Amino acid sequence: MKILVTVKEVAEAADDFELPDGALDIDERYLEYDLNEWDEYGVEEGVQIAEENEDTEVVSVTIGPERSEETIRMALAKGVDRAIRIWDDALEDVAFLDVEARARILAAVVAEEDPDLVLTGVQANDDGFGATGIALADRIDFEWAAVVNHLDLDVEGGLAHVHRELEGGVEELTDVELPAVLSIQTGINEPRYASLRGIRQAQSKEIVPYELADLDLDADVTDSPLSLTSMYEPETESSATVFEGSPEEEADQLGELLGEMGVVEG
Amino acid sequence: MLDYLGLESDLATEERMIRDTAREFVDQQVKPDIADHFVEGTFPTDLVGEMGELGFYAPNLSGHDLPDVGERAYGLLMQELEAGDSGVRSMASVQGALVMYPIHAYGSDEQKDRWLPTLASGEEVGCFGLTEPEHGSDPSSMETRAERDGDEYVLQGSKTWITNSPIADVALVWARDTSAEDSPVRGFLVETDRDGVSTDKIDEKLSMRASITGSIGLSNVRVPEDNVLPGVTGMKGPLSCLTQARYGIAWGAVGAARDCFEVAREYASDREQFGSPIARFQLQQEKLAEMATQITLGQLLAYRLAELKERDELTPQQVSMAKRNNVEMAREVSRTAREMLGGNGITTDYSPMRHLANIETVYTYEGTHDIHGLILGHDLTGIPAFE
Ligand SMILES: Cc1cc2nc3c(=O)[nH]c(=O)nc-3n(C[C@H](O)[C@H](O)[C@H](O)COP(=O)(O)OP(=O)(O)OC[C@H]3O[C@@H](n4cnc5c(N)ncnc54)[C@H](O)[C@@H]3O)c2cc1C
Repeated sequence: MKILVTVKEVAEAADDFELPDGALDIDERYLEYDLNEWDEYGVEEGVQIAEENEDTEVVSVTIGPERSEETIRMALAKGVDRAIRIWDDALEDVAFLDVEARARILAAVVAEEDPDLVLTGVQANDDGFGATGIALADRIDFEWAAVVNHLDLDVEGGLAHVHRELEGGVEELTDVELPAVLSIQTGINEPRYASLRGIRQAQSKEIVPYELADLDLDADVTDSPLSLTSMYEPETESSATVFEGSPEEEADQLGELLGEMGVVEG
Repeated sequence: MLDYLGLESDLATEERMIRDTAREFVDQQVKPDIADHFVEGTFPTDLVGEMGELGFYAPNLSGHDLPDVGERAYGLLMQELEAGDSGVRSMASVQGALVMYPIHAYGSDEQKDRWLPTLASGEEVGCFGLTEPEHGSDPSSMETRAERDGDEYVLQGSKTWITNSPIADVALVWARDTSAEDSPVRGFLVETDRDGVSTDKIDEKLSMRASITGSIGLSNVRVPEDNVLPGVTGMKGPLSCLTQARYGIAWGAVGAARDCFEVAREYASDREQFGSPIARFQLQQEKLAEMATQITLGQLLAYRLAELKERDELTPQQVSMAKRNNVEMAREVSRTAREMLGGNGITTDYSPMRHLANIETVYTYEGTHDIHGLILGHDLTGIPAFE
């Protein structure tokens, strides 16, 4: 069996950053890069499946500049067998890639690798579209399940028994036929730390660089009806009332407030 | 973390990944409840196996399925662990540098096969028994004796201040073999469940509280001669182990100091007095400047030591210089950081006072500050002051 795990290096902004008027991105010096949190769980899920099922290969794929190799190598250190990194001058030039572009690029990788199972994170904690996995499934015509928080794989039957987390704490239990794309929710497992041995071994694992042409794609894949028009920090309004006094006095004040707001009568 | 000269940007990918993994581990597994362990005087024993799984014990050794990472990567690991707590770094130092290293360097094949895998994984714990109640800085005057009896040795004596002895499965006990000519010091692997072995815990510590320390009592303890480390005779045995561990301490001290520095810097930026953050006041800025400078110098020492060690050119005296300097530096930095935190600084809510208390042990064990001064003095003048 072959499992493709999509991973993304995401930028995280420092607590105090400045965003000048008109800027479309946070300046590099405020950013730190790390593996997308959801992808940590995708990687762990893939590696666990490989540990439980013989002859399973786990391949990671990312769209990202050379800088992201170190982040991807951490996935290799945790047990992923090899990785593919797609980058191109055409990608360098665009401000951001929309879901459609990502899905098209990843679809080309799926065509090349022919996996039985694709695991993506539910969303990326930078742009947060939360749609790449499903858009990919649609494009490659795989079965899919989104926001999976429990996975029980029946390899022989070619079936994934999944729990999906729905709004309002509702859980859906579904069977999905392979090949499938599952978008993985945090908490599905406990991602491991890379061991020192794993880190050593990862240095000699392969990260194959691909350009768009290697996937029979050209620069127009980045064309998008979406464009980034502005970036700003939303005003946060918070009004907190701190009650002071003895417990009795505080309780009185709270009771009064609840009355005023019409929560309780009296 | 402070890296004023950007030394970490020159690290290789593998080294950076090891640093990041260790830092993440410390942030998530050590920092959240280490202060409680410090208050209770307990060691977070869950960490023993977890650190083993990650390969934190003697990762710089090769063969026997050990990770065989470079000396700089090993140093970075010690630095990150000690940024969490000196007790956690001590656990890794004792297990790796003081127990696995001598078995690896001087042990028989049977001893290596028996002990290295389970010590590496943390399934078993080892301790290192050199210090005695009456002989600390001068261990060659040790009184613990081993007397040959057929193909066994009978051990007699007592060791104290032994990190992890109460939880150890095996103690590497250094004792004089009175049945051999000149009674040379030999290393004995003593399983702690043998008859006549006692390992009492020392409870009254005000330093290194999140680390278990105890004694080893040896009363007519019989061990087979196969339990003697065959490859080394004399004080070179224990001293060579200490050189390994001290190398890790030189790095670890930088980690503890960096943690204190970051806490102080953040606190000074947040804490307002006289209408502005205390970081605005020149007195506080001077403290930060001095701490940052001393930490950076200590870091440079550690990095240079790594290069020499990697080339196999590192002398024990150079390690003495770095251990002596960096631990003293960490002692000053943790005290200054503590002071910058005002009243809050004396609590376990912040790390500096805990580090400060721990450093008192680090200042004393593995050769006191004074003794390393004497080692350097001997090297520089050719005259040994301690004989
Ligand atoms: C928490 C903790 C854990 C430890 N873990 C271990 C362990 O795992 N294994 C182990 O074997 N030991 C361990 N030790 C013991 C440690 O190595 C000794 O405490 C240390 O070597 C000092 O010995 P001492 O305490 O007997 O002090 P002493 O040697 O009695 O020294 C007392 C003072 O006299 C000074 N002094 C001594 N000789 C001279 C001299 N010639 N000139 C000038 N000044 C001198 C010293 O610097 C010191 O200030 C540990 C100690 C502690 C506190």
